[in-house]
Amino acid sequence: MGAAGSKLEKALGDQFPEGERYFGLENFGNTCYCNSVLQALYFCVPFREQLLEYYSNNKNVGDAEENLLTCLADLFTQISSQKKKTGVIAPKRFVQRLKKQNELFRSYMHQMLASTVEAVSKHFRVAGACGLVETLVGNSILYSNDDAHEFLNFLLNELVDILEKEAQAAKSDPETSSPPEKIANGPKNGHANGVRKEPLVTWVHKNFQGILTNETRCLRCETVTARDETFFDLSLDIEQNSSITSCLKNFSSTETLNAEDKFFCDKCCSLQEAQKRMKIKKPPHILVIHLKRFKYIEQLGRYKKLSYRVVFPLELKLSNTMEDSDIEYSLFAVVVHVGSGPNHGHYVSLVKSHNHWLFFDDENVEMIDESAVQTFFGSAQEYSSNTDHGYILFYESISASSKS
Amino acid sequence: MINPANGMISTSSSSANAQSPGLKTYFKTPEGRYKLHYEKTHPSGLLHYAHGKTVTQVTLANLKDKPAPSTPTAPPSSFSASSGVRSAAARFLGAGNGGRALGFGGGNGGSKSLSGSSRIGSLGASSSSSSMTNTNFDGKGTYLIFNVGDAIFISDLNSQDKDPIKSIHFSNSNPVCHAFDQDAKDGHDLLIGLNSGDVYSVSLRQQLQDVGKKLLGAQHYNKDGSVNNSRCTSIAWVPGGDGAFVVAHADGNLYVYEKASLKYEEKYFILTFISHGDICDDMLALNILQSKDGAGDSSFPVIKDQTQFSVAHARYSKWSSDKADDGSSGRSCMMWKSPVRFPEKGVSTYWSFDQPPPPAPSIFVCLYHAILVQSNPIARWHICQGSINSIAFSSDGTYLATIGRDGYLRVFDYSKEQLICGGKSYYGALLCCAWSMDGKYILTGGEDDLVQVWSMEDRKVVAWGEGHNSWVSGVAFDSYFSSPNSDGTGETVMYRFGSVGQDTRLLLWDLEMDEIVVPLRRGPPGGSPTFSTGSQSSHWDNVCPVGTLQPAPSMRDVPKLSPLVAHRVHTEPLSGLIFTQESVLTVCREGHIKIWMRPGVAENQSGNSETVLLGTSSKEKPLLSSKVGSSSYRQ
Repeated sequence: MGAAGSKLEKALGDQFPEGERYFGLENFGNTCYCNSVLQALYFCVPFREQLLEYYSNNKNVGDAEENLLTCLADLFTQISSQKKKTGVIAPKRFVQRLKKQNELFRSYMHQMLASTVEAVSKHFRVAGACGLVETLVGNSILYSNDDAHEFLNFLLNELVDILEKEAQAAKSDPETSSPPEKIANGPKNGHANGVRKEPLVTWVHKNFQGILTNETRCLRCETVTARDETFFDLSLDIEQNSSITSCLKNFSSTETLNAEDKFFCDKCCSLQEAQKRMKIKKPPHILVIHLKRFKYIEQLGRYKKLSYRVVFPLELKLSNTMEDSDIEYSLFAVVVHVGSGPNHGHYVSLVKSHNHWLFFDDENVEMIDESAVQTFFGSAQEYSSNTDHGYILFYESISASSKS
Repeated sequence: MINPANGMISTSSSSANAQSPGLKTYFKTPEGRYKLHYEKTHPSGLLHYAHGKTVTQVTLANLKDKPAPSTPTAPPSSFSASSGVRSAAARFLGAGNGGRALGFGGGNGGSKSLSGSSRIGSLGASSSSSSMTNTNFDGKGTYLIFNVGDAIFISDLNSQDKDPIKSIHFSNSNPVCHAFDQDAKDGHDLLIGLNSGDVYSVSLRQQLQDVGKKLLGAQHYNKDGSVNNSRCTSIAWVPGGDGAFVVAHADGNLYVYEKASLKYEEKYFILTFISHGDICDDMLALNILQSKDGAGDSSFPVIKDQTQFSVAHARYSKWSSDKADDGSSGRSCMMWKSPVRFPEKGVSTYWSFDQPPPPAPSIFVCLYHAILVQSNPIARWHICQGSINSIAFSSDGTYLATIGRDGYLRVFDYSKEQLICGGKSYYGALLCCAWSMDGKYILTGGEDDLVQVWSMEDRKVVAWGEGHNSWVSGVAFDSYFSSPNSDGTGETVMYRFGSVGQDTRLLLWDLEMDEIVVPLRRGPPGGSPTFSTGSQSSHWDNVCPVGTLQPAPSMRDVPKLSPLVAHRVHTEPLSGLIFTQESVLTVCREGHIKIWMRPGVAENQSGNSETVLLGTSSKEKPLLSSKVGSSSYRQ
């Protein structure tokens, strides 16, 4: 391990970025899904900096209860304060905490699914969807929670929950001196005046949250129903031999709801044919794109991995998904799923740091050439020996911020 | 030749279907159907995993009938005229292949005698495992040169054989790019660039005449990456450049080579004298033969600013002597010659031959017989950070276009070594570029899935073609297309172009500049349905000054084109396309080539298109679409 570290140091030579640390993460038995996401988040510089700042501001506030936020902050601090430039760290506390929360994680997924089903059934006024969740869970359609994307989603939502709870606690207890600073990075919503609970905008939101508008136009009365929803990542359907640009285009392309799939128009008070499309109303600072590589195949009764070749550029704009947007994003991390199926396999990550690309595979860290990123696009043919596929892409906006 | 066209088409169609289910063997255009005519590929057994790293590119090569050197009775070396020079070159350049070329040359006679047999006769042989023979080679014809893995394959364009007639394997590195010039003067017409940075120039004819799997008679440049060890990305002959060529590399540098390395062979007398440190630098003080094998490598200064365009000429050239350094160190040597004659290019400015010899203490004089080996490359252009992905010369050789990882198209005045104009992609790297025949437009394609039309007149992007579902990996103007409504006098100039992408599709486009540019400038009265008449923005009103690079335009500022035809042609992502007079060729990254006959051609030609190709090729150069000056586009 040490040898690998020195190898990396040798490879970088005097180009080793000042103050940067490249540490592998030990695997505690099937925790690569977690390690790969943690590396991507660590090298999401604004997120890391804000987490570390938050941590240093809050370290002394009593002996705060341990939670995922403190564990993550602790881990990041541990990495960034290492004396050595490279090496291996065991994210023990974090993983233990995560395991403790495992049950919560399950129930969270359950709840998410339930609310989705509920929303769907409400949206389409479909009756009899109540038992669906149980059926789905029973049939273990929910695949293992070792999925990197689910973990990321869970983690970000946990962090937000914790921050919101802290903010609430601070509000109800104005004696505590820390709260205003506590959310210094994420000023609360401007018009939080009423009794109504306004959603708090934390620094997690500021980094990852975007707003989608779901526009539905009833083809009978032409009424457009627009519904905004926030997101931390975009989950895209993928096609063989396509690009992220094309997947984004499909994501926001107009879809006609008809036949079995009609839309309940509030104005017409009946199910009508409608056209639906998704647009990005507010682009996030960090754009996380999740490729839906795991597809439930009904005939098989299980998930199948799609190894499709989906090319992702190192720079991206969202013009297809958003009107009048020329905000440019730059790719800085890729979580890669290695393996041919959803239930087994491995996660690694590619990370761009100070214009070098690094390859993180649990405790191993290597430098790679930028052109090696394209070996993770996927396979043009279904049966291929290449099973390393880009799964979650992390882009940072380069037009809005002055990046260091 | 005997086979009726229909028979051939059905053969290739059925095999195409067997190989790639779901792919049609034709596509429709307003002019009619393009039909899949032939497919070319390589022995599949050779595919191994590592080869996925190289992307197949294809080059069309039209060999003219050259009776003198290719007659069977010709001397062993078909390049007897220059063999003396070549042997010297081989010796002085230290190219191992050079020596082998002469050794193997004798084998040509035997195989040549078979060339009288018809193509049909060679079918059986070439489909067998020992297919790599040159029995098909009759000294002329049109060939496809393509790289797969560690090999270069050569196929006969006009034969229905799927398999190549020749393969050349490289042991040191993978070949990744190539270029052919049918008018190359001394027979070295094919350039090959390697992943290691090495560059070879060879005679295609000589390769075809041999049965071996090695490169023959090659000039080896940038040996073992001695000048630049980054991957070659694109290679091109300088049109009318008298054997000069340029090689682009993955580190953003481009090198200029003068091919005729022994053009300036002269006998030089070398005055050697003991240096007392009083010799001026510019007075031709040099150390002879710093490299033992005498390879003429150039050295260039370190690039000071990676972000800036800069051109460096080889600062000094090393000279080779057939009497090597006598070993005494600390001795400077001086070359002298009378009467003084310099190479026209490259090194002359760096030498002051005509100054008088330095005064004492040059007491002792020694005469050497030396041959000037021009050092190569003669110049380095540092163009951008990151890879140069492709380069293309305008057909008259005035301009050189480069595109790269940084997303910029750059257009240079080649002889002046000056940046003329350029601009950024919408986002992401650019991957391919091509000139229109008249030099007015440049197509680029890249990672934003767009086909970009760049106007040299306006020095900016004039249209974006939207239609690919993935990166655009190949673009080309169809120089043989004559628009139905152009009678030569009309003001409307219609361009037809094609693009291929990693979405496995071929798209054809029509570009009518009347429709696009004029309405936008003069306000859109009605407008064309093919593009969105966006608000007039600064992008359109500003005149872009010479020598500046344009930033990425806004999506709403650029008129959009829609494809005429979009057809899925392969199962694998595509890497390039070429228009010929009779067909359009598509090639995928894995090295499968499909030849789509233009409407009407396949039926009439009875499968033998050779006569037509040769007939026209003697008048002009129709096969390299980028080099054609077609009269129908003249204004």
